[in-house]
Amino acid sequence: MSEFLLQTIWMVPLYPLAGMILTIPWSPGMIRRTGPRPSGYVNLITTFFAFLHGLFALTAIWNQAPYQIFIPWLQVANLDLTLPLEISTVTVGATVVITGLNVLAQIFAVGYLEMDWGWARLFALMAFFEAGMCSLVLCNSLFFSYAILELLTLGTYLLVGFWFNQSLVVTGARDAFLTKRVGDLFLLMGVLGLYPITQTWNFTDLAEWASTAQIDPKLAALLGLALIAGPLGKCAQFPFHLWLDEAMEGPLPASILRNAVVVATGAWVLVKIQPVLSLSPVSESAMFIVGGATAIGASLISVAQIDIKRALSYLVSAYMGIVFIAVAAEQTQTALLLTFTYSLSMALLVMGIGGVVWNNTTQDLTQYGGLWSRRPVSAFAFIIGGMGLIALPPLGGFWSMQKLVEQLWISNPSIAVLVLIVNGIVAFSLTRTFGLVFAGQVKPMTYRSPEIHWPMALPMMFLSGLNLHVPLLFLQWQLLPSLETVNLTVPLSLAVSSLVGFALSGVIYLNNNWQKPVQLGWKPLQDFFAYDLYTPTLYKVSIVFVVDLISRVMYAIDRYLVDGLVNLTGIVTVFSGQTLKYNVSGKGQFYILSILLGISFLVILVSWPFLSQLLIVSK
Amino acid sequence: MLSTLIWLPVIGAAIIGVLPQEKAARNARNVALIVASIIFFWTLFVLSKFSISNPGFQFTEYLPWIETLGLSYHLGIDGISLPLVVLNSLLIWIVIFSSGDKIARPKLYYSLILLVSSGLAGSFLAQNLLLFVLFYEIELIPLYLLIAIWGGLKREYAAIKFLLYTAVSGILILAAFLALGWLAGSTIKGSTLNFDYETIKSTILPFSWQIPLLITLLIGFGIKTPLVPFHTWLPDAYVEASPPIAILLGGVLAKLGTYGLVRFCLGLFPDAWGTVAPSLAIWATASVVYGALTAIAQKDIKRMVAYSSIGHMGYVLLGLAPATPLGTVGAVAQMFSHGVILAALFYLVGVVEEKVGTRELDVLNGLMNPIRGLPFISAFLVAAGMASAGIPGLVGFIAEFVVFQGAYATFPIPTLICVVGTMLTGVYFVILLNRTCFGKLDNSTAYYPKVLWSERVPALILVGLTFFLGVQPSWLMRWSEQSSTALVASVQVHPEQQIAKVIEPLEK
Repeated sequence: MSEFLLQTIWMVPLYPLAGMILTIPWSPGMIRRTGPRPSGYVNLITTFFAFLHGLFALTAIWNQAPYQIFIPWLQVANLDLTLPLEISTVTVGATVVITGLNVLAQIFAVGYLEMDWGWARLFALMAFFEAGMCSLVLCNSLFFSYAILELLTLGTYLLVGFWFNQSLVVTGARDAFLTKRVGDLFLLMGVLGLYPITQTWNFTDLAEWASTAQIDPKLAALLGLALIAGPLGKCAQFPFHLWLDEAMEGPLPASILRNAVVVATGAWVLVKIQPVLSLSPVSESAMFIVGGATAIGASLISVAQIDIKRALSYLVSAYMGIVFIAVAAEQTQTALLLTFTYSLSMALLVMGIGGVVWNNTTQDLTQYGGLWSRRPVSAFAFIIGGMGLIALPPLGGFWSMQKLVEQLWISNPSIAVLVLIVNGIVAFSLTRTFGLVFAGQVKPMTYRSPEIHWPMALPMMFLSGLNLHVPLLFLQWQLLPSLETVNLTVPLSLAVSSLVGFALSGVIYLNNNWQKPVQLGWKPLQDFFAYDLYTPTLYKVSIVFVVDLISRVMYAIDRYLVDGLVNLTGIVTVFSGQTLKYNVSGKGQFYILSILLGISFLVILVSWPFLSQLLIVSK
Repeated sequence: MLSTLIWLPVIGAAIIGVLPQEKAARNARNVALIVASIIFFWTLFVLSKFSISNPGFQFTEYLPWIETLGLSYHLGIDGISLPLVVLNSLLIWIVIFSSGDKIARPKLYYSLILLVSSGLAGSFLAQNLLLFVLFYEIELIPLYLLIAIWGGLKREYAAIKFLLYTAVSGILILAAFLALGWLAGSTIKGSTLNFDYETIKSTILPFSWQIPLLITLLIGFGIKTPLVPFHTWLPDAYVEASPPIAILLGGVLAKLGTYGLVRFCLGLFPDAWGTVAPSLAIWATASVVYGALTAIAQKDIKRMVAYSSIGHMGYVLLGLAPATPLGTVGAVAQMFSHGVILAALFYLVGVVEEKVGTRELDVLNGLMNPIRGLPFISAFLVAAGMASAGIPGLVGFIAEFVVFQGAYATFPIPTLICVVGTMLTGVYFVILLNRTCFGKLDNSTAYYPKVLWSERVPALILVGLTFFLGVQPSWLMRWSEQSSTALVASVQVHPEQQIAKVIEPLEK
């Protein structure tokens, strides 16, 4: 049974696709009688089957060697686009994480969208994402990975634009699409540029090629930068980070999926192409710089946000920055482990605040307070998610972070310190959010705030349990370091950095005597972080302004110069025709005169070579 | 076999001409639809008999006509013209189906459309240069009338502009062809004047003559395609024409230009093509970027789609420039995919204009609204726009990708700039979709007539085809592979210096 399911593992993306197609009858105007809800249940069932399929297949592939299967797609001229799938513990495990989280997110959506009319669209799009991500992790080719990333970009556009009535949603969807598309197209340039050199897009072959490749450093750097750009957009790294902020206007169940796994698709591709990136020191340092800057910058921005979803979304960028650092340090295993623990905790965090947002009708952190006694389930979910995210023993995030820092400690101590600082800031930010929402005084907006109903509580509880079990899973998978070999400084400093973050934040935000809202000493600095480092303004005065201006100028040239020339020719023709018609005077002598003039002009013209000779002679 | 595609529409037009005046609207449409359906099925029949492994012309028909002029009725089809003939038959059906019963002067309208179909099929099938020019010019007359009679407010200006431009294009092509025929005739002693494609292809002209002739032809077909800066007839003609006619113009007629580029420029001047190819790649890039940038500045959705067309035709030239089998296959695929996608876009824009009553971006809003908006039309518009912007899974992506892949090895820099062009395509389609489909529907104006199922059918077919060929692109590309390989076999394009620099270190 499991063997059969393993052999048919390529079917996993087909379940959600089938669910998507089955949703069509509930699109507006077709089935009205049942309301839109059945579409959601259909998708839940198909997703659940996908999850089960992956789970059984995982037991079959466990501890087996990875292998590839090939599905021919397009052979034309000398181009062979065959879809290679890699079947390994990691890829099958990744589909299980994706489908599992999607099951939970969809159950959550059943509760969250109770009153919404757009069920069919939301569930179809979530299934679309699931199918896309499952194919992404299974496929073993850079070309197909690029294609799927582009498709997910379209999915993001539609999913963020779910509540398309609101203007912020519309601009958010637009920016998400365009930002990610810029990254994708740089990736396409990399895809195109790589092929003439390697003659393959297969990740396994690329890794083999990269191990012996001798390549012009300039070209390697350019290729590396192009290949990084795709993940850069997906993972919302500086300077492409703004879309994730705006994407928070989308429905929350989609944010669970997006924050937890969709952004991680970029990290996945980055891990896959790491052998090629390692050819160029420039691209490695670019990853260090971008990852480090995003990790620090985004976590600081997160501390300054007053929107509850945005405070979390910037932590997404920050953590993806740490994954970038891990890949730059050539620790791909650690990067994947980090992504795994991060996904589980981030999903739980978003669920936790989702329940709060749902029935408090505000996302403004300053209007929350005192929910601890009213919302114990949400509060515990948030605590467990937060502790799982940062490096606090004994939960999951600690072990993956410990692995990363232990290696960085030796290779790049300064980066290791940076990761420690980021960890502290994240701890600070999470405690701040927790304190503002759950601690403190009850405010008007939180006065009536009953705990959420079961469709939202169930996935939250389940995921809390799972998060608590991550260390046990690691123990089972023998991923925990042995006590004899471990360098004790690393776990200690990690724990200290988390605790310092907690404590500092606790003093401010769990303390009713501290004046809120908290003012940073210098207002411009606070605004700098609160307004996302002024990135929207930066975009507006740079790229948006330039494209807008050039397009207007081009259009003006088109209308007035290119077309104007054509119209001028037309007008001149018409005008000269109109003028010449007055020559038709009906007088014989006028006609004879013009004939004579014409003939003499012709004669001069024809005999010009002869005449010019004469002139020269006369001189 | 092939003559049916040319003469059946003519017979259909004649039948429509003699229909009684009462109930003319319905009867004319029905007759036209039946004829178009027969043509379409006949095309499918040709398709089923077509041998993919044969790179040469198939189903050839030969009938001497005016031998002293070198004109003969010589038809044939190969892998390059086949997709375009299919496109022509498909879009004519769509055009007739979507025209509705409310058209003024229906008998004239439908017979003209059938005549256009005949002329287009004739141009794609003609194997004699003069015969090609004949069909190429003949189809202008019905199209001129179609724009001038059933168009928008500035229809006369647009129609005349269209006529003048394309007539100039025809004259240039005729001049080049005549020169080509005479030169080819004079190189072989004692031969009579002959304009047969194969004969001319087999004679080798002196290189000094090839370049000026090729440039004349390039300008001629460049006007028709159109390529910047010969494009200004396009926005006016496309926008002023009624949506079905715009589909004809942009979907099929423009393909005549690119078809001419492949068949007569690349095919007849292999040596000269190798020399001008780098400039062609730059020309293509300029068209792509120019079309995309000007489209961003548009305020009228139909005009935006029209400008997008300029950019997309640039990709065809980019695919042809390096004269690689892959690039040529990509170019043919891009012609087909652009035809289908543009038809879908024009159709949908037409529906929006008809139901909402405006094409202004600043007025349109919230059409995705499920109850009072146009949800299906919006969904199709999203799909078609994204197909045009090159999202994978839809046919526009794979066609453009094959073009890029075919061109990159020879012209890396122009190809990368064209990739930026697809980025800009994304920009204006997002603007279009955001303003029309997204946003809040204005309650006071949202009393739109219902969209009938019969009005959704053309969009469904076109978008469905876009999707199907995007998932299964070998159905589109396998036809032209052999013919493309044969066509470019003798062309030598010298790659740019950049790629040499790339390869050099590898070989060490």
